[in-house]
Amino acid sequence: MRECKIVSKKFEIENAHTLAVAKKHGAYASLEKLKEYSPLEIINIIQESKLRGKGGGGASAAEKWALMPQTGDKPSFLVVNCDESEPGTFKDRQIISKDPHLLLEGILLTCYAIKAKHAYIYIRGEYFQFQKILQAAIDEAYAEGLLTECDITIHRGAGAYICGEKSALLESMEGKRGHPRLKPKQKEPEWFFNNPALVNNVETIASVPFIVQNGAEVYKAFGTKQSPGTLLFAMSGHVERPGVYEAEFGTSMMEYINHFGGGIKNGKKLKAVIPGGVSCGVLTAKECENLTLDYEALRHIGSSLGTGGMIIMDEDTDMIEALKNILEFYHEESCGQCTPCREGTGWSDKLVAKILDKRGTKEDIDKLLEIADTMDGKTICVFAPSVSIVIVSFISKFRDEFEAALCVK
Amino acid sequence: MNFIFTEENLIKIEALKLRYPSPQALCLPCLWMAQHQEGYISINAIDAISETLGIAPMEVYRVATFYTMFHLEPQEKLNVQVCKTLSCKLCGSDAILEHLKNKEVNIIHTECLGSCGTAPVMQINDTFYENLTPEKVDAILKELL
Amino acid sequence: MREMIDIIVDSKTYKAQNGSLLIDLLIREKIKVPYFCYHESLGADGNCRMCMVEIEGQKRPQIACDTLIKPNMQVRSNSENICKVRTDILELELINHPVDCPTCDQAGECSLQDFYMDYGLHNTKITIQEKVKHAKHVDLGSNVMLDQERCVLCARCTRFTDKITHTHELGIIGRGDEAKVSTMPGRKLDNPYAMNVVDLCPVGALTSKDFRFHQRVWFLQTSNSVCHGCAKGCNIYIDHNKMKYQDDVIYRFRPRRNDAVNGFFICDEGRLSYKDLQENRQESILLYEEETQENKALQELKNLIENYKEKITLIVDANLFTDEIEALVAFAKSISATLYSPLEIYKDENFKDDMLKSANRAANYKTIENLNINTTLPTKNALVINFNHPLDFEADVQINFTTHKRGKNRLTFPIAAFSENAGHLTNEDSIMQECQKAVFKNNPAPTIVEWLQKVRS
Ligand SMILES: Cc1cc2nc3c(=O)[nH]c(=O)nc-3n(C[C@H](O)[C@H](O)[C@H](O)COP(=O)(O)O)c2cc1C
Ligand code: SF4
Ligand code: SF4
Ligand code: SF4
Ligand code: FES
Ligand code: FES
Repeated sequence: MRECKIVSKKFEIENAHTLAVAKKHGAYASLEKLKEYSPLEIINIIQESKLRGKGGGGASAAEKWALMPQTGDKPSFLVVNCDESEPGTFKDRQIISKDPHLLLEGILLTCYAIKAKHAYIYIRGEYFQFQKILQAAIDEAYAEGLLTECDITIHRGAGAYICGEKSALLESMEGKRGHPRLKPKQKEPEWFFNNPALVNNVETIASVPFIVQNGAEVYKAFGTKQSPGTLLFAMSGHVERPGVYEAEFGTSMMEYINHFGGGIKNGKKLKAVIPGGVSCGVLTAKECENLTLDYEALRHIGSSLGTGGMIIMDEDTDMIEALKNILEFYHEESCGQCTPCREGTGWSDKLVAKILDKRGTKEDIDKLLEIADTMDGKTICVFAPSVSIVIVSFISKFRDEFEAALCVK
Repeated sequence: MNFIFTEENLIKIEALKLRYPSPQALCLPCLWMAQHQEGYISINAIDAISETLGIAPMEVYRVATFYTMFHLEPQEKLNVQVCKTLSCKLCGSDAILEHLKNKEVNIIHTECLGSCGTAPVMQINDTFYENLTPEKVDAILKELL
Repeated sequence: MREMIDIIVDSKTYKAQNGSLLIDLLIREKIKVPYFCYHESLGADGNCRMCMVEIEGQKRPQIACDTLIKPNMQVRSNSENICKVRTDILELELINHPVDCPTCDQAGECSLQDFYMDYGLHNTKITIQEKVKHAKHVDLGSNVMLDQERCVLCARCTRFTDKITHTHELGIIGRGDEAKVSTMPGRKLDNPYAMNVVDLCPVGALTSKDFRFHQRVWFLQTSNSVCHGCAKGCNIYIDHNKMKYQDDVIYRFRPRRNDAVNGFFICDEGRLSYKDLQENRQESILLYEEETQENKALQELKNLIENYKEKITLIVDANLFTDEIEALVAFAKSISATLYSPLEIYKDENFKDDMLKSANRAANYKTIENLNINTTLPTKNALVINFNHPLDFEADVQINFTTHKRGKNRLTFPIAAFSENAGHLTNEDSIMQECQKAVFKNNPAPTIVEWLQKVRS
């Protein structure tokens, strides 16, 4: 497997979170390029590189950047999404704690391109320990005079998964409840107090310095045609060496699990993988056999790449219990704004609890699928459709397990 | 009992106001400061925040009740937040929860802490404790209690 | 004005403004689409997801409250697919709802009840026993009671206190299926328009303490009228009912939409003014405080008018209908009396606000001014005939035509209140408005116009 360290280059270096060490290893070197390129040229380079958002959706980064007005009297803002609450995902914390200056460098480049004078980093409340490291890096950058063109402010969340969704995140930053907003009628920027704003994931922004520094071609040399570059893929669950390891898109999933993860824990057999945070459809071991890790391959088999945080489950895993566990999460985290999600997450959680408790009937399984259908495509945000995908994938792929648990009358 | 922000926090608040297009953005930062000051968020603190930011108390209160990390009641015991989401569950969070049952702490079952690679995990105050085993839990609590 | 275009709903063509909200058209054309959260005064919130329609060219169903009308749009509001979608969402809505219609005050005017009857859900078996439990009888203040279990979290009430009154007493607290409407702990809903949330609430979650359980709504009769609380002249519905062997009674006033006057709302004081209207009414004719016959009293009145010729003062209440005031102007002329309507007494600067309430607490003072009636206090009075003006005057003799009981006088004639009569008013913005006769009493008091006819004959 080809080694590719674009974002994780300094992860192994001791004290790379300090400005001195980071600089010694090339931090902020890409800023030199700003003398050469205009903001639009930077956006072009990003466009060329086909960089895709790494927060889960995989949207084209440049397309979003291009929506930001280059002229106008309203100030523009960059908002970096470090909410990282998708279960199975723990990559952004590696960046902010091991190489925070890489993120700051990316922020400076991005703000230059979209003409933003202020960037906020919205960080989940639980990451306070890492927030301190990041803040120290920002303080150092201010002291060094690196932040003359643009300010950076950390905004701390307080425990709400939904605030990772970009419009809920902005509501939260505006001091409100984290309720996702209604979808805009046309393509437009996000809005922060009615000012145009760009929301990108930490890793997306941290990928920018490499691209600006080395050019789009070098970046595109990694990965596949449609999913170029790399991702901080991660593994957790039943694997020998869980963790975050950068790899290029298109890498074979099993090779990744075996090479970096050392295979399934205790030599057990693989049963299932949730490929990119719990919101992606579950895959059977068989489906994983010849699977590559890129957006297209995962979409092709009816799941999605998500955040690239794989949850590995061995042969002994009770799939009903696993589904119950995930539904509990959604039940707890639904913002409660729209009816299908508010009521659907609770009801499906209770139905699976019933099946787990051996009190379930065949009608309960049908009802679950019906609720999943009602949650799909009819809500304000895609939280509920994700729940729908999870329910359908678990039941359709492990139906025998669910049926075996029913109380037969 | 009235709630008054400490001098230090007041300075912080004024500095933060300059960093946002509207003072309402300080809602979460102020709630955090209030919680750090008193250990929980009292109704008096909500009133104080509302006054500082020029928004109604309800506009602060409903926000405070949305986020799981804000406590609206005084916290009697040490809060131990144990992750119970899938990766931690697969790696033995049940055993950790079971082990904590008889301790003099307030167990909070939380959702994924973003530490799944080092599961099982718990958080106490602002610190993560990772790769937990019952023995490790004992050592940590001995230190803290 | 935006351009008018054609759009097709269920294969019928309608004219609509380009870029206007689809749901407004559906409501205006009475095309059945269920909805909870949308309200024309509050705008779209998109939380209930009930107003789903199919739009040609869109893969998924769309909510009508957040869809802008575009040229050549084709909408389906009643296809099998869309009805199934609505039924499914409604079913989820009902999971945590108590479905206690028989004991619910809103029964009969509840959107939820209507919808699930429409969509045939009354037979649904909900397969979980443990519904999320919430408080059933929360006294929010200002006569408003909240049943959190019946609430569908449409946020109309909270948006009302946020966007309309800007008082922010109500909010949705908590998250997910634990979310609920609440005030701040220990605090109340407290603003002069608070009771409008009862009308806004699409289900029986918010009810009026004043109205609760007094009447089932399907017994009520409704008439159009105008509030007499101040010169704003807010449009109202008078809900009343005459039960067998009883008299016609008003149970409540409700706001009636009029965008030129009051929009969707009325103030609480005006809303509750129906009580004073019915209490302490003068019902019989009095001569020196003694009940007397109509012809005897009329004779006395005629004699007095004869005796006090040229020394008669007529006082007119500025709340009377224009029709009545005009009749009195003619009457004054015919008996050579001078006419006054002292207006100072109606002024109440404390009542005024910048929403609806006016400092002029006389519904028809504009007509008094338009007819150039003297609005000062009369000075020397021999015979005063007072047509319901709130003041009493020093005089040799005072005669009252009055709706309500008042002090000792030579002669007292009961008259019909505005709810028992039809007529017109001109509000402070010179808008002329009509009141229907709402209440039909078993023993109705004559109107002023009727009395004047009797005096003349
Ligand atoms: C329910 C939900 C949760 C999300 N959580 C996160 C998150 O924790 N971090 C993140 O970067 N993006 C998250 N997203 C995606 C964001 O909405 C947004 O698309 C992303 O931050 C954009 O950045 P990117 O294009 O760089 O990926 C979430 C989306 C949804 C619907
Ligand atoms: S789908 Fe769920 S999380 Fe998204 S807005 Fe609706 S209730 Fe909130
Ligand atoms: S109380 Fe009524 S108006 Fe308020 S949110 Fe609930 S259902 Fe809607
Ligand atoms: S504002 Fe005046 S007219 Fe309107 S309801 Fe109140 S008292 Fe009646
Ligand atoms: S599942 Fe426990 S930290 Fe992610
Ligand atoms: S009325 Fe459209 S979503 Fe509620």
